[in-house]
Amino acid sequence: MIGEWIRVLVSFGLTVVGVAFMVAAVFGVNRFNHALNRMHAAALGDTLGLLFVILGTIIMRGLSMDSLKLAMVIIFFWIASPVCSHMISRLEAMTDESLGEITVLEKNNAVRVEKPDMEKKEKKSSAKKKKGGKKR
Amino acid sequence: MELIQQVYAAVMSVAVVVLAVLIVISIVRSILGPGISDRIIAVNMIGTMVIMITAILSVMLNENYLADICLIYAMISFLGVVLFCKVYTGVYLQRKHMLADLKAIEDNLDKQAADHEGLQEEEVAR
Repeated sequence: MIGEWIRVLVSFGLTVVGVAFMVAAVFGVNRFNHALNRMHAAALGDTLGLLFVILGTIIMRGLSMDSLKLAMVIIFFWIASPVCSHMISRLEAMTDESLGEITVLEKNNAVRVEKPDMEKKEKKSSAKKKKGGKKR
Repeated sequence: MELIQQVYAAVMSVAVVVLAVLIVISIVRSILGPGISDRIIAVNMIGTMVIMITAILSVMLNENYLADICLIYAMISFLGVVLFCKVYTGVYLQRKHMLADLKAIEDNLDKQAADHEGLQEEEVAR
């Protein structure tokens, strides 16, 4: 009897921790401004949130075929989630028009947008301009 | 034994309700999100939370087949996100008449540098 209660309590604890991680992830996704920052917050829920919630269900279920399937979900998701993140970040890097800009938060809560130092790219961009001129 | 089942069902329904509220917030973010990648991130997170709810329900209702549904939902969610990314990358490159796939990120940065220099030259000319 006491063993059953201990198992239930451990399962509750793990599930509550997982849901707390998901709350943090959703809060971060709604709070950040850029897509790459948002992806950083979403990865937290994808890894640790799913791990703790499904670990709680596995402990409650005990050793059986179903808990093996639930463990397979964790393994598959930990393989698939970085691939998803890679694809989304590549899409963002290709399509974002203001990728190089850096947003700086100053001491008096003022927001300043800095253009990066583009001197390294000068040769390439000048070559690009010639091409553009020919087209026009 | 009955008492344990009842307490377990009560606490787990609270967790399911919290996850449902989080799903609604993520749907709002996927509608509001300014770019296409913000929306894809929100949809990916909705998929994660649906998998969690299915796993909790499979233990709470004592239904075995929900574990299979959980596994298959994970696979289809992964496939959907990869497909979204491929399709929107292709559409963007076609619209901008970009040829290269692997060099597209460099092209994006180069174009920004060109625009930045163009702005500076205009300021000097004024």
